[in-house]
Amino acid sequence: MEKGKGLVDLCIEAATACSESVDIWRRQRRTLERLPFQLADDLFRRLHSRRLLSPSILEIFQFCVNEVDLRGESCVDAEWMVYLSAFRYLHSLNIADCKNVNNFALWHLSGTYSFDGVLTQLEHLDLWGSEISNVGAATFEKFPMLRILNIAWTKVTRMPILSIACLNMSNCTIHSIVDGDNTATATLSKLIVTGAAFIDADQVLSILQLDCLKFLDISCSNIGSFNFLVNLRNLEHLNLRYSQITDGLMEQVASAGEKLRYLNLSNTKITSHALSVLVGCVPNLENISLSHTLVDDTSLLYISMASSLQLVDLSNTRIRGFVDSGRENSDKMLSLSALQNLTNLKSLNLEDTKVMDEALQPLSLLTELECLYLKSDFLTEISLHAIASLQKLRFLGFRGAVLTDYGLLSYRPPPLLCVFDLRGCWLLSANAISSFCKKYQQVQVRHAHVNNPFEDEIVSYGTSASFITTKVPMSRPRTVKSSNTSFVDERMKYSTEELLQLESSTGFSFMLKDLDLLPEILRK
Amino acid sequence: MKKEDTVKLVSAEGFEFVVDKKAAMVSHTIRNMLTSPGSFAETQHGEVTFPEISTPILEKICQYFYWSLQFASGKETEFHIEPEITLELMMAANYLHT
Repeated sequence: MEKGKGLVDLCIEAATACSESVDIWRRQRRTLERLPFQLADDLFRRLHSRRLLSPSILEIFQFCVNEVDLRGESCVDAEWMVYLSAFRYLHSLNIADCKNVNNFALWHLSGTYSFDGVLTQLEHLDLWGSEISNVGAATFEKFPMLRILNIAWTKVTRMPILSIACLNMSNCTIHSIVDGDNTATATLSKLIVTGAAFIDADQVLSILQLDCLKFLDISCSNIGSFNFLVNLRNLEHLNLRYSQITDGLMEQVASAGEKLRYLNLSNTKITSHALSVLVGCVPNLENISLSHTLVDDTSLLYISMASSLQLVDLSNTRIRGFVDSGRENSDKMLSLSALQNLTNLKSLNLEDTKVMDEALQPLSLLTELECLYLKSDFLTEISLHAIASLQKLRFLGFRGAVLTDYGLLSYRPPPLLCVFDLRGCWLLSANAISSFCKKYQQVQVRHAHVNNPFEDEIVSYGTSASFITTKVPMSRPRTVKSSNTSFVDERMKYSTEELLQLESSTGFSFMLKDLDLLPEILRK
Repeated sequence: MKKEDTVKLVSAEGFEFVVDKKAAMVSHTIRNMLTSPGSFAETQHGEVTFPEISTPILEKICQYFYWSLQFASGKETEFHIEPEITLELMMAANYLHT
């Protein structure tokens, strides 16, 4: 028994100890009806996690439960829905990824076959990945309070008229979001259709009345025309990641830019020209992602005019850090200096760009910066010392750089620094890192040589050993700690090439949870 | 034991349980009643009535108070709860914030 457990927890534990216990208290109907929602929800959750729920148990909870989460349960079917349809005070129902939830089951949930139409309080329904189609979708009208609906990865292609606030139709094939009355969508404030295949996106979306729409995620969708954006005057969050947006279509994005605070254009074909279109149209933009696009240094000038920006992601772009002034033999102009106009800039990502040491000099002027992400083979300790003046940094990524032990030990981290990500800095020795860690204990260093607290349970680490030493199969990390009691230096087992492979594999010790990413030799 | 070190807890049926103040304070609700200056009559009389809590449940709760103190001081025993009273006890414990 854990220390400090309250009596409520002890009671829930006792009540869900075994099915015999349940059989004793389940007859106390009156008491159950008086159970406060929060207790009933906790008890219900615990019964579920102890696998003690069954349709007949559901019945006793019909007057006291607010929230039901049965996602991923293959046993949940139409019979369960019959009982759930009687949950008078149910606010939130999650039956996502239940393979036996189909149209038939949904009709039972909607109370279509019962006399007293119920679930009048249901606000949140999650059917993600279940086997429903338009036939099932027709039942949504039976839930008058429904506000949040997730039907991603289903076969629903059109929605009945609904006044809901949040709709997720990701990865659906969409013929229409509402049939007929377009004013029905006037309440919609959040629409997520990532990965959706629209039959005719512009037609589907432009007939909607979307005055309230604040959040739109059309990433990975097949939308090729963005005229509908012109009507979205209140949009604050727009995700166009992996979309078919191009420079030529940016006018439409700009027209919805007035209130935009978040814009994700990553993994698209846009170039710096797209930013020139946005300039002046996004006065409230705080967060922009241009990662994996074709933007280059000329974009920085435009970006620097969006003065509200707090977070800029330029990773994996063509940024070099300087622009040629046109004249031969003249000094290169350092393009990153434009960013000093962004007085609110808190986070900057320049990972996997082509920046070199000298181009990073202007970063020392971004004194408000709290998070800086750098990752490049070209960087050396010169850059590290150039950014030493950034006193507000809390996160510093300096990955894959040519950083020597001396360079690290002569660096004085800013006072607020919490995380110092040095993954892939292959020159650093374990000794240098460990003395840095000792000197600055408030800083969590990420490097293959460091045993981070969050993977304590997985990684065993000998102070003299440079590598994780374990013979136990990595596919079962929980067994590692218990069975691996002796520390053996297995470096001798590997060839130099293999060791280098280990060294350069980006932060392998931090991703042990993603076992598939492990280098071959560690998976033995 | 001095009277000011104890508190009297009264069940719905009028049964009185006299327990150490220290034990009763395991409950945040009772602690608030006993320590907030002047606002509760309970503070003066050292007596709290629970019209919603039946005698057997209140008795179990008093046992829990003492068990909890022992547990905190390192004597880790199990606190057994009979399935018959789990629901009632749960509600009372919820009310008493214990």
